[in-house]
Amino acid sequence: MSRPSQRNPRVLAPAPGIGLALCLLLGGCLDNGARPLMGLNLQLAHTAVNRDPALSSDWLALIGGREGREQVRLVRLSQGAPVPLPGLNRPDARPVSVAVDQWGERLALIRELEGRSELVLYRRSLQSLQLIPIEPAGVPHRLGFSADGRVLAVEVGRGGLSQVDLLELP
Amino acid sequence: MPKRPGPFHPGSLRLGPTLLGPALLGLVLLLQSCSLPWGIRRQPSPPGGLGLGSESRQDPALSGDGRLLASLVLRSGRSTVLLQDRRSGQTMPLPLLQGQQPHSSPSLSWNGRYLALLVWRGGRSQVVINDRATNRLLPLPLRGDREARRLSLAPDGRHLAVELVEGGQSRVEVFNLGEWLEPDPVPGSLLQGPGPGSRP
Repeated sequence: MSRPSQRNPRVLAPAPGIGLALCLLLGGCLDNGARPLMGLNLQLAHTAVNRDPALSSDWLALIGGREGREQVRLVRLSQGAPVPLPGLNRPDARPVSVAVDQWGERLALIRELEGRSELVLYRRSLQSLQLIPIEPAGVPHRLGFSADGRVLAVEVGRGGLSQVDLLELP
Repeated sequence: MPKRPGPFHPGSLRLGPTLLGPALLGLVLLLQSCSLPWGIRRQPSPPGGLGLGSESRQDPALSGDGRLLASLVLRSGRSTVLLQDRRSGQTMPLPLLQGQQPHSSPSLSWNGRYLALLVWRGGRSQVVINDRATNRLLPLPLRGDREARRLSLAPDGRHLAVELVEGGQSRVEVFNLGEWLEPDPVPGSLLQGPGPGSRP
């Protein structure tokens, strides 16, 4: 983590960013030892909407974009930069919930596509996407990953009841 | 744009009569183990009345090591976080969080030392971290008129990402907790090193 670069005053230099930077600086500080990552937060603020963050070690997965055109994004904290996710995002799909493992290799995603919700597992190095069936049938809503990406907890709606499915992945 | 993935189907089998018995036995064992395609295994519900399938559960979060599961259940009509061992279903007490429901968005560190979540305090949703090792509840007050909606704690406890809502718009901000919390160390990683973000 390169703290100096995250607090570099040069980040505030562009005139259009000054107001936003001050807003983040004044509004984002916590009354304790927690410190905002200024550079990263400024970068994230340039996107219209960001929601549903998922942290794992050096990686931040989140859903961002403009209303109706949201995408999954993956950012490496130490570099403050997003990495490409070829084959994951589709213009006709709406991401619902995302999780990432500690290496930024596996992303689990719930998305709405063609009127239904589905759970998929994305492997970044392979650029592969696998559908994980929900059995018994149900509607996935939220998910959580273990850091090694081997255990997946999924909230599934079934018959008016929310349940948690636990899946162990190879 | 890659093709949309389709579900995997087990290949069809052609079996002679002599293989039918072992094949049926294998099928039964396969079904009992709740196996899914490509070796994905569905964990059966643990024994006991607090099994994962017996009551409504929402918003699951796993500890970094996958040992603990936090989820939300309804207690007296209020959303309450429940922490339990993933395999046995045994629950762990969280006395400091009582009376601060509804809870939402639980997130666990590597060993489950830290449980970050949103609680209801002073008429608004607030970020707190329950340090289970020291039995302390650490509030993280946000300045400004912003409401926290969701959060995520990194497994090592060094960073916290918070979704904040202001003026109807959601924005994610990340905070460094390194000067405030002791790390919940990830086995095999150096505390001051580059961290486990680089795959070994």
